[in-house]
Amino acid sequence: MDAIFAETLWITCKFAVFTTLILIVVGLPLSYWLAYSKFRFKPLVEALVSMPMVLPPSVIGYYMLVAYSPRHWFGGWLLDTFNVRLAFTFEGILLASVIFSMPFMVQPLQNGLRALPDSLREASYTLGKSKMVTFLRVLVPNIKPSIITAIALTFAHSIGEFGIVLMVGGNMPGETKVASIAIYDEVQALNFAKANQYALILFSISLLLLTIIYSVNKKHDPWKAM
Amino acid sequence: MESNVITLEVEKMMLTANGKLNLSVDTRIQTGEFVALFGLSGAGKTTLLRILSGLMKPDKGLVKFGDTVWFDSSRGINIPPQERNISFMFQDYALFPNMTVEENIHFAQPMKDNATALELLSIFGLSEFRKRKPGGLSGGQKQRVALARALARKPQLLLLDEPLSALDSGMRLTLQNEIYKAHQLLGATTIMVSHDLGEVFRLASHVLCIKKGQISKEGTPDEVFSDSSISGKVQITGQVARIAKQDTVNIVTVIAGGSQIIKVIAFDSDMEALNIGDNVLVFTKAFNPMLVKLMA
Amino acid sequence: MNKLPGKITQMQQSGAVLLVDVDVDGQGFSALLIEPAARPEWLQAGHTVHLVFKETEVSLAKNLSGLISMRNRMMCNVSKVERGELLSKITLHFRGHSITSAITTRAVDSLQIAIGDEVEAMVKANEISLMNSI
Repeated sequence: MDAIFAETLWITCKFAVFTTLILIVVGLPLSYWLAYSKFRFKPLVEALVSMPMVLPPSVIGYYMLVAYSPRHWFGGWLLDTFNVRLAFTFEGILLASVIFSMPFMVQPLQNGLRALPDSLREASYTLGKSKMVTFLRVLVPNIKPSIITAIALTFAHSIGEFGIVLMVGGNMPGETKVASIAIYDEVQALNFAKANQYALILFSISLLLLTIIYSVNKKHDPWKAM
Repeated sequence: MESNVITLEVEKMMLTANGKLNLSVDTRIQTGEFVALFGLSGAGKTTLLRILSGLMKPDKGLVKFGDTVWFDSSRGINIPPQERNISFMFQDYALFPNMTVEENIHFAQPMKDNATALELLSIFGLSEFRKRKPGGLSGGQKQRVALARALARKPQLLLLDEPLSALDSGMRLTLQNEIYKAHQLLGATTIMVSHDLGEVFRLASHVLCIKKGQISKEGTPDEVFSDSSISGKVQITGQVARIAKQDTVNIVTVIAGGSQIIKVIAFDSDMEALNIGDNVLVFTKAFNPMLVKLMA
Repeated sequence: MNKLPGKITQMQQSGAVLLVDVDVDGQGFSALLIEPAARPEWLQAGHTVHLVFKETEVSLAKNLSGLISMRNRMMCNVSKVERGELLSKITLHFRGHSITSAITTRAVDSLQIAIGDEVEAMVKANEISLMNSI
């Protein structure tokens, strides 16, 4: 295994792990809010979260690239205050991926929370427990299958991310070049053996993850047993 | 015991299956009573219980527990359920599936107290199940866990929402005793929603009959259900189980006290608006019944 | 249930046994009750009450002569006869009120009861309950 190959896989792995970790932290409170809030414009927020599922990656990628530009207020503000450039950097594709994979994390969590009987939350409140304690000790442990599904989907989806990474990250070896892009590169260079190596690894990881999701969902169905 | 009279003066517009209904109640509930909220489904019983618990906000009014204001629309006060020191037992029990029986009890305790938890488990005959998750328990066992958990909170007010509706009739009878035991142990006020006459008679010391969002009658079960406007001295309340037309008469089967079967001949004039499941008063004069001593 | 509106005219109590006289449109009735001395408010002379008695407690007679112990006697006209296999229902008119009597079909035949007949309906005093008419 040559150094570039290893580096590309390392970046892909780092990219998927960070995306997933950030999304767990952001996704749990967001899906809690989406599941229970009575906010009037909630449907709009829900629609925004789900946009990546219907839009081509190039559309979101284009807008993000524009926003990252130092001439845009967002890009300019990042550069002035933090001295951070996002265009064509690892941080840039990470942020893009967090936004683009959001629905894969939020939707299973939100559905899991909604499927819990209201009485569980209410029972915890009447037993004197705060919303935070209720969330952490009653709600989260009872949507474990949804959490596993959300993590696996997000991870698998970010490993396979192509369009938005290419759009926002370009193809910088050692910085933004992930396996899915490397495959494209190798094919362009008629390097089919290399492309196959990348492809096989991505295929195997995704297959493994999806198999885990389905076997977990088959085993856990706490509401049928209740 | 300190006086914790509950003041309940509330109004709430409810959306029911039959359209809008205004719940309007003004009553006091005395300390230590076992109160039954009795009435048809959709009359507003559960809504009242949820208003007391703080899980639902009335449109306007005043809810007070002793001198503590729980809700006052004129002053914008609405104390959340966490701070009301109550226990609410849900129709589906709402046991936490991720915790064992014992952990469910511990969760409810304001301060973890293993000795009290073990005592509660033993009182309700749950000691051998303490390491089990709720998913592996029978309906009756779940109900007892829910009761034990409700007590573990040491509430000043115990609220029960149709606690026995999910159980078969044999199980109901035994668990009525458990509920009574829970009320005695706690020594606090208990309010139970029920539409089962036998349950109300056995458990409640005071009944509020809720009809279309209002209290239609209140008093002891005897006052509320036996009809002092009839001179007949043999009065039995029960539920119509069967109506069979035979010859020129109807034979109405009434189940009283959960298991007594009474058959009454009724004529068409008695049958107006009488349906299966209706609560009825069977009465006759003290002159008519005959007694036979039962052999021991 | 047969129900007749009336007014309590007189009451006689002996221990827990109470005999109540009720006037229904000029006809006197008596009801024998078990009632403690502390009677409900509505069970007092002068109050309007309903006499209540079951259809099966109403006996019928035609051309009755001689003495009989039944205290409550109503001269009625037969307005309807519903014959059943064993039990028949006779609807009667009594001073503007409707009363039903349930007797055996054999009795209907032996008395030859037909619509328009004049019959006497009778109820024992201990079969009549009183109900507060609000």
